[in-house]
This record gives sequence, C-alpha cells and structure tokens, in this order.
Amino acid sequence: MGPPKKYKKERGAGDKFAKKRRAEDEAFTQLVEDNDSMDNASESDGVPGAASKNAETNDENINTDEYGAKDYRAQMQLRADHTNRPLWVAPNGHVFLESFSPVYKHAHDFLIAISEPVCRPEHIHEYKLTAYSLYAAVSVGLQTHDIVEYLKRLSKTSIPEGILEFIRLCTLSYGKVKLVLKHNKYFIESPHPEVLQKLLKDPVIQKCRLIRSEAEGEAFIQGTLDGKAITQFGTKLPTATDKPAEETPTTSTAAAAPGTDGAAAAVPDDITDFYEKIDKEEEDEDEANLKTVSFEVAQEKIELIQKRCIEIEHPLLAEYDFRNDTVNQDINIDLKPAAVLRPYQEKSLRKMFGNGRARSGVIVLPCGAGKSLVGVTACCTVRKRALVLCNSGVSVEQWKQQFKMWSTADDSMICRFTSEAKDKPMGCGILVTTYSMITHTQKRSWEAEQTMRWLQEQEWGIMVLDEVHTIPAKMFRRVLTIVQSHCKLGLTATLLREDDKIADLNFLIGPKLYEANWLELQKKGYIARVQCAEVWCPMSPEFYREYLTTKTSKKMLLYVMNPSKFRSCQFLIKYHEQRGDKTIVFSDNVFALKHYAIKMNKPFIYGPTSQNERIQILQNFKFNAKVNTIFVSKVADTSFDLPEANVLIQISSHGGSRRQEAQRLGRILRAKKGAIAEEYNAFFYTLVSQDTMEMSYSRKRQRFLVNQGYSYKVITHLKGMDTSTELMYNTQEEQGQLLQLVLSASDLDCEDERVPGEPGYRPGGSGTTKRTGALSSMSGGDDAIYYEHRRKNTGSVHPLFKKFRG
Amino acid sequence: MADTKSGRYSSNAISPLVQSPENLECKNFQDYLRTRQTPESLEKLYNHPPICLAVFRELPEIARQFVIRILFVDQPVPQAVVSSWGAQRIAKEQEEATNCLTALNVWRVTAIPGGLSAWELSPTFKKSVRQVLLGGGKPWAMSSTTEKDSKPRDIAFLDSYAMSRWRCVLHYMVGTGGRNGGPDTDAISPDAVRILLHANLMKRDERDHHTITITRQGFQFLLLDTRAQVWHFMLQYLETCEERGISLPECLSMLFQLSFSTLGRDYSSVGMNSQMLTFLQHLREFGLVFQRRRKENRFYPTRLALNVTNKNGAEASTTADEERMQERGYIVVETNYRVYAYTDSPLQVAVLGLFTELLYRFPNLVVGVLTRDSVRQALRGGITAEQIVSYLEQYAHPNMKLVESAIQSKSCLPPTVVDQIKLWELERNRFTYTEGVVYNHFLSQNDFVTLRDYAQSIHMLVWQNERTRTMVVQKNGHDDVKRYWKKYSKSGG
Repeated sequence: MGPPKKYKKERGAGDKFAKKRRAEDEAFTQLVEDNDSMDNASESDGVPGAASKNAETNDENINTDEYGAKDYRAQMQLRADHTNRPLWVAPNGHVFLESFSPVYKHAHDFLIAISEPVCRPEHIHEYKLTAYSLYAAVSVGLQTHDIVEYLKRLSKTSIPEGILEFIRLCTLSYGKVKLVLKHNKYFIESPHPEVLQKLLKDPVIQKCRLIRSEAEGEAFIQGTLDGKAITQFGTKLPTATDKPAEETPTTSTAAAAPGTDGAAAAVPDDITDFYEKIDKEEEDEDEANLKTVSFEVAQEKIELIQKRCIEIEHPLLAEYDFRNDTVNQDINIDLKPAAVLRPYQEKSLRKMFGNGRARSGVIVLPCGAGKSLVGVTACCTVRKRALVLCNSGVSVEQWKQQFKMWSTADDSMICRFTSEAKDKPMGCGILVTTYSMITHTQKRSWEAEQTMRWLQEQEWGIMVLDEVHTIPAKMFRRVLTIVQSHCKLGLTATLLREDDKIADLNFLIGPKLYEANWLELQKKGYIARVQCAEVWCPMSPEFYREYLTTKTSKKMLLYVMNPSKFRSCQFLIKYHEQRGDKTIVFSDNVFALKHYAIKMNKPFIYGPTSQNERIQILQNFKFNAKVNTIFVSKVADTSFDLPEANVLIQISSHGGSRRQEAQRLGRILRAKKGAIAEEYNAFFYTLVSQDTMEMSYSRKRQRFLVNQGYSYKVITHLKGMDTSTELMYNTQEEQGQLLQLVLSASDLDCEDERVPGEPGYRPGGSGTTKRTGALSSMSGGDDAIYYEHRRKNTGSVHPLFKKFRG
Repeated sequence: MADTKSGRYSSNAISPLVQSPENLECKNFQDYLRTRQTPESLEKLYNHPPICLAVFRELPEIARQFVIRILFVDQPVPQAVVSSWGAQRIAKEQEEATNCLTALNVWRVTAIPGGLSAWELSPTFKKSVRQVLLGGGKPWAMSSTTEKDSKPRDIAFLDSYAMSRWRCVLHYMVGTGGRNGGPDTDAISPDAVRILLHANLMKRDERDHHTITITRQGFQFLLLDTRAQVWHFMLQYLETCEERGISLPECLSMLFQLSFSTLGRDYSSVGMNSQMLTFLQHLREFGLVFQRRRKENRFYPTRLALNVTNKNGAEASTTADEERMQERGYIVVETNYRVYAYTDSPLQVAVLGLFTELLYRFPNLVVGVLTRDSVRQALRGGITAEQIVSYLEQYAHPNMKLVESAIQSKSCLPPTVVDQIKLWELERNRFTYTEGVVYNHFLSQNDFVTLRDYAQSIHMLVWQNERTRTMVVQKNGHDDVKRYWKKYSKSGG
C-alpha cells in the first residue's frame, strides 16, 4: 500500500535468515520463469542496441541538495508563462504532468504516445521516457522533430539537453523502415529514401533484395500510401453519446480551475496550434498521399533481413496490408450490430489500424475493460485466418464464447485445440488454443499431431496473444518459430516493466500501442469502482510463538491459518452474503484453501479439479442463488470470467507479486449494473496476519495498483466481529487444535500450488518435486532482478536532524 | 516442609520507560493568564482597558453573558440568582463559565447579608470594561496620526512585509538564513535569538557555545500555523520582557491595542514612553508592525498583529485574505504517498524535508514521497502524526479541496495516507505495560505449579516460565496470591 518500506526485524532471525530477507526485498515477480537456463546469446537476440539506452543514468552526476533530493534547478529555467504549461521534464527522463491543467487532455494524449506511465493518481501524473516508449512513438508515426518541439512547448521549464539528446538517439533511426507484405510480396518500405540507400549499402541486405525485371534496375519503387484507408470498427457509437464523452473532460477541467475564466483563455497558443497540427498530421497520414519508396525482398530471407536490420539499428516494423493480400483467403466474419465499442477500445484499435494496415503491438487494458472485444474486433477487421492463444482451457472456452457473442462466427468456424477439446481444424477460420499446447515438446496424440502440422502449414492473418505478460520471451520465440503470422496483437492488463525480458516483447511482438488509465475508466463507469482494503488480523499468541521459532516453509502456513484470519474471512463472507453479493476467496496455498472451504462448507476449485467440475461450479456460482461464495486457488488468477463476482477476499498469495494482485483485482473489475448510487460497487479485501512477512509482501503487491491511483484502506478492526457468536475458532481449545493441525501438516502442504509454466512444475510429477529455490523465489525473485530506482540515501538525513541532538 | 519465604518479589517500575518526551505546549490567552499570573498581577493587568477587552472577548459565551448582566449592577449578585439564569440542560457549560470567571479573577465570591454567597466583579475589571464599552477616562485606543501619510502603504504590501519579516525568524531556526542568500535572509537580532533560546525552541550546543541548534519543540513550532507561531513567540517574549526592564502589563496592553486596530491604517507613536518604543522596535523586527524608519513616529500594524488574539483568525478572512490562502496552499498529496510542493522557498522545503523523502527539485516544484522511514524519522524527532497531518492539510493545494472525496469528508488529504501516517505512529507504541510482581526462587516444582495454577485460576497471571520457576502476577492480584501462598505453605505443601 505504501511507499517502499524497509521492514527489518531483529527478533528470532539469524544472520542467514536476514540475508535471505534482503534478497527478497530486492526481488519480486514479473513473469513466469522459464525453467531452462537461458543462454545469454538468445536473451539479447532480436533487440537492437539502442534499446538498452537508459535515460535513468543521465543524471547520475547531478548534485543532490542538502536533503538528498536531486537538484535540477541549475539544469533548467522556469519560463515566464509556466503556470499555463503542464509539464516538468527531469533530466533522467521522468515527466510530471498536472492533471488539472487546462491543456491536460493534449498533454496526456501526447505523453501516452511517447512515454510509459509510472503513476497516475488524482492530481499529478508521472511518466517516464524510455527507449521502448520512444520506439513505440515513432512506430505509430510521430517524428523526432515533433516530439522534441511539442515537449518543449508543453514544458514549464526549458528541457535539459540530455533528454533532447536521448530522444534523438532513440527515435532517429527507429521506425523509419517497414516490412510490408503487399500483394503477397515482401517489401522494405520507407518514406525516407536516404535510409533505404543506407540499408542497401549493407552487403547482407543487398543479397536479400529481389529484382524482378532489369528495367527496375537500381531505382526504388515509388509509391503512395493509398487514401481509402479509414478503418471503421463495427458499429459506431451514436454521436449523441459520443459527444458528451468528449465534452466531459473539458468541462471538468474548467471546473477544476474555478475563477480562472480569464486565465482559461490563457492556454498558450503555441500549444493548441501545435496540437492541432499533429492531430491533423495523423489524419493526413490516413488520407494521405505520403510518398514512399520501397524495394522488394525475397520471402525466404525475411528472417535474415530482420535480424540484420536490428543489428544496424533500423528495426523493421512489421505491417500487414491485409486488404491487398489475395493469397490468403478472407474469412467470412463480421462484428454483430449489437457489438458497440467503447471510446477507449476504438482508440486502441485505431492505433493498430491507423494507416489502413495492421500494425503489430500490444494493447494494455485493465481486466474487465473488454479486452476480448478488442481482440474479436481486430480479427473481424483483418478478416483472415486468426489464431488466438491463451493460457488455460477455461479461457479457451471463454474466447469461443466471446467470438460467438460479438461476431457472426459460428461453431463451424471456431476450432478449439486443447488437451480436452479438439475440434476438426480443417476449413475453420479461427483457432483458439493455449500456449502450452503449441509449445508442447513431448509426444502428442495422433490427432493433435495432425492439427499441429496443419497449424504450422498455415499462413495466419492475425495472431492474438491473450495475457501476453505471462509468456516468457523464450516460450514466445518458440511460438514464433512454429506459427507464421502476418501480424501479432498482444493483450494484457499489466505490462509491468522492470524486467528486461518483458521489455523484449516490444521487439518480438511490437510496441505498446495503447495503455488505458484505470482511474479514468473507473470514473466513467466502464469498470467497477473498487474499494480496496487490507485487513490486519492479529496473530494469536500461540501461533505467533510457533511462527517465530519454526522453520521457514512452515511460517507461511502459520500465518495463513491464523485463526483470527479465518474468523475475519468468515465474518466478511457472512456480511457480504447478507448483502446479496457474490464472493470469491483466493488462496494460493492448497492446504488452507481446502481447510477454509470445507470448514465453511463452500465449493472450491484448484489445480486437480477437473474441467467439468470447474465449469459446473462456475455455472452454479453464476446462476444459483444459493452458491454465493466460492474458494479458488491461483488457477483462477487470470482469464476466469466471473462477471457476477463483486467481492474478493484474498487469504494467501504468491509472495510480493504485483501482477497477481492486479490480475486478481481484475476478477471483480467488470462494470456492475445498477449500483451507480453507491460510492463503491466492488470490494477487494486482503487479509494479512500482523507482524509477519505477509505485511511486507502485501505492501509490495499493492504498489502497481497504488500507482494506478487505487488506495488501500487499512482495517485494523472489523466492526461487529467480536460480538458475532457464529464464528468458528472461538475458543482456545479449538484454536489449539488448529495449531496442532498446522504443525502436523507436511512440507508439501506448506507450499503454494503449482500451475503449469511455473518454476518447479513437472507435468505428472505428482508433487514429489522439492523446490530447491531460495526464499526469494517465493517472492518471485526467480525471474527478475528488481531495480529499485531509489537512490541509496539511507545515510542522507535531513540537515535539521543532523544538527538536532535531543 | 520447612519452606520459608520463597516468593521474593519485587515491584516492577516501568514508568520511566513510558515517559513521553517533553512536547511543545501551546497555550491560548486564557491558559496563559491562568497559569502564569497571580491574582495580584491579574489585577494589575486589568488596569489596562485593552487587556480587559481581550479577556472579555476570549471568555466563553455564557461567561460573557454573566459579565454583561452584572456589569452595571453595583452590589454583589447572589450565586443562586446567577445559576438560575441558565436552563438545567446547560448546567455543565454554566459551571465551566463560572469556573473560568473565577480563575481569571474577573469576579470573586463575597458574602452578602443573610449569609448567602454572592458574585462580585473585580472593581478594576469592571471599571476598565465599562470604559471600553462606553468611553470616558483616558483614551485607550492608539492615536491616529494627525497628518496624512504622503505615501500610504496598502494591505498587500503590509502582508508581504509582515510575512517576509516573520520568515526571517523561521529561516534562522532552520538554519537557512545566512546560507542561501535569498530575499528573506536578513539576520535576526540578538534579542530574538534570546527569546528562541528562552522558549526552548533552540538551544546552545553543549560543546560549542557559539552554535545554536533547533530542538524538538522547535520542530513542532515550525509545523504550527503562522498565527499560532506568532502568539507562542509573543508569549515567550512577554516572559522575558521584565528582564529587559519593560513592563509586562504595558506590553500586553499595547499588543492588544494593536490587535484592535484597523489594517491598512497608520497610527502615531507620539506619547509612548521609551520602553514602549523599544517594544515597538521589536514588534517591527518580527513583522507585527511596519515602520518606515526607526525614528519615524508613524507605524502600520500588520495582519500578524491583528490576528494575535483573534481565535478565528484563519476563518475571518476578507476577500484579499482568501486569495492569500489560495496562494499559501502549495502541497499536493497523492494516494500513492507522493508529495508535490509548488514552492521554491527554502523554508517550506526544509519543513517538508522533516517528514518526507525528497526526490527531485525543479525550479518551482519539489517532488517527495512519504515513506515509513521518513515519517518515523520525524516521529523520532518528536513530531507527532497529528502535526504532520495538520501541516499537510493546512497547506494543501487548492486543487486538493476540489476532489469529490475531499468535499464529502472534512480532510482534503487522501484518507489512506492520513490513516497510514497515524498507523506508523501507532506502531511505535505497541507495548502495553502491566504492573506486576515477580515470584521466583521456588524450592520445588510442585510449589511453583500450585501457585501458578492458582494465579491462573483467578486470571491474575501475566507470565510464567516453568523451567526457571518464575512467574509474574498482576499487581492487584498480589495480595490474593500472597495470602494463598501463606495458607498453602502453612498447611505444609
């Protein structure tokens, strides 16, 4: 919940333990780890050198003031009309934006395009310029000159020279060259002839060039981007509803600056002018007769040329001119008239199909904000064979449902390919499968083998990658070698960035095309308004004594099974059942999951639960008024679509994983109907045992959501819990029995559940694998080095305190 | 078994551990009069009409009623009559009012014929209040200047002058005065330093007597709002004024005269004695009055002086004042614990640095974050969570007040941040102390078990350890346990 905190405990911890703890502090989970060790060569593969440039280090030799803060005052001058401009740009690439500024809307759109959001709470947002974000900016058509110029105009101060340099460095060579598949021929295309000249001087690329006729000679093929490229997605919103949505931001900003009637007009002209100009340019590009030059390359050498271009710092942007592709047949699929896109969904798709071609990239939307509809619409726009990859059997079913709901596709067109459901693939237009099915290396059944072969032979129009953050680069590369597709669309809710590997996705799939602002969607009612709460459950003395003396693996079980946590959980379930809410309880620990669920007599789902049983429980939860609470393990973290659920209780979780926290929140984010009047219409409780490791984990987990503008209320005492007599574990005897139960549990019970794709998971190896990882793997330290972007200023004390000896 | 006295006990005195460090005491005017002044000196103060008016204004509402009702009654009023004025349901308030008047020596008990006790206003007080209300006697207000100022000063100028003078004092405290050479950096006089030392806001270094450092109370002082700061500072000043040979009643009287004056008007210092002129110079230094030149006998009181006695100074604001408040709000606190401060003042940055970890400094913005460490450091330094929260609230950026949730609740800060700061304070005080008696040196395990079980059965056992045969019994259970032990050992175990 809060700012990073150093949680040091002296009690009961030997040196060794303390050391482990520190390791934990420095690591958290991002990604599911690939098991196999990765050789360094493959890791840097496919990522151009400039991507490793980091503005963060630009200010290393900047002086700090007497409080340990980086002092940028000498680096920049405040401009005279600074109150009318919304930005500060720090030499290390961080950008601060006033959300209450009259030009917020302009600045916001611009910053989203060129930088990564770091945190977006109510008043002042922080963004960060990175090599990747700038790459994404140029790939959607922004020019270096425009970026620099507009940034200058928006900033309250002069822009530090280092940053300008950084922008130039990252944008000049990027995004200039495109690899286009047109009329079934591959072209290298660019609006800048000089860049192509440079490429052609490279001997490797020269070899790849395909010259069909002598007449063509050395000259480039001249071309223009054709104009009829405006892409229309499904049914447009009626203009009546469209307008107010557009209007609201303006009125709210006007309201935010009362009494500035005179001042409102003081938006510097240069900002609005320039904004309009850029806006127009974007449209121009659509209509456009942008002159381009291109040369053709041989198809079989595509792989080689892509690699070479990255080496010489001109990564190719893959674009797919699907309209002019006649080799691959169109599939007959359209959006139903009932499918209405929300403004942000349309905006994200416009980024993808901006110039009438399909760009590859990643779209980031919060869970529950309608990612599937974006995926379905993308498929309907391309209208070529589509491959959808997701990460579990249940979500395969759900994708199929989505296709049937939003588009004209019927059963005959959609083929599922999972271990349990294998439809006939031949002749289908859409194939839905899981990552593990594709990358499976063991022997397959004959049927599966056939489907795989077919899959490999196809040329796919579009590949939709659901929950793209869950696949590590290595697995992703394997998918890429198996599947040939013209464009790739990644969908995710949480593209957390500290990890280099996830950043590589930028070059493997494409740049991030769009990222929605959670708080804004919440305000407009597209996702539920969630009250997040952290409930502190005091450890009962007996449990705490054991906790302090026991070995590490059991500690976790002790704090999860803490009787006061059980009681809080039971109390909350009762409370919400009385309100008529639907509650999901999450527990990573299977022992606890079973114990809680059986004790309270509720249905539960975990790894070994069969597909049929799962679906039955979920159906009951949806439609049966008697089943209001279900217990689930981490298998339900992603892609379980439970639109009814509006209360989530978390009793145990995977260390300090911020992603898991966000994913779980996503389970209850789908907009709720008919509860507009209430301030909050969904509730997210995390139960933590006081004074245990859980507290610090919990803090780490919350950081992502806190940066999105969520706030966690700390509840130290649940009102009415003491007086409630129906709760279990009331007496010392019962609690003692529970403690005995916990102490007699085996080591295996102490561990989190494993799901496929996670460290330590062995298919079929029924839990006999003993995880050897350090404690840091519990916190997710296996997969990522955690860069703490805080200066090591523990020694820097406020000068007053230095003086103060009292 | 001849088991003699086996339970040797010792009382555990833990109280020194829980003693909290000395905190800044902020008295209002009434408290000051009650605690610092004897009835005699109060009587002396009441000779000055302005002081009486100030006292009168500060009285609880009911007390003011009483005073007005009996102000022109010349004989004592029986207590029964006075208490019959109020309805039964406000008996408590009435009692408070009565006590207050007694404590301030505004009235006293006398006996009237018939053995009844009655209330009688102090004659001096009565005379002075009458004079204030009706006029007559020596004029008590400050005299206006006779000729018009050729270059009159407007309110905006006076405000900025006052604040810049006052900031000098604060800058001196945080040690940013001489160093940075900003606009507010004139040094302060030895007199002011003496007051700071006297008030224990700063102290001399034990080893090096030339350096003066800020104290715990000093930090807390910085977090107060300006009005409270000035008032506290002036009280300290008054305590030291006798040493300088300036009469306290006269100073106090003049201070209140100033506070009843009109902002933006000029007054004349003609007719003041030399002591008062010295006092005026001091007030000038702290920014309570503006005087163009030392010798000039024309001065303007500033808002600082006007607000000295005004309890609702912050609220009672004119339009100009409101604008000033808007300007003053410069801190944005976000739900993710970020703190953004629109400021370039070294003083404000220094105060903010007390409890936030500062990250970046831009020409007109400071970016910081509230962390557990930074807040704990402040707490260790003696600042309370309450003070941090109220400081952030007081200087909240105007935009913070426009947020939906801020309109609904009283505070404009994100509630989670407020909660967290308080929780960080609470987590420092998690020990609960129980006074107890230790029993040890048991001769046999059996004795120990018997006594322990007994203590447990009457719920008086705090802690026990079987191996060392030691147990702690609550203090109020000690007698019972001792009695039981005597009975037990007499019966021979």
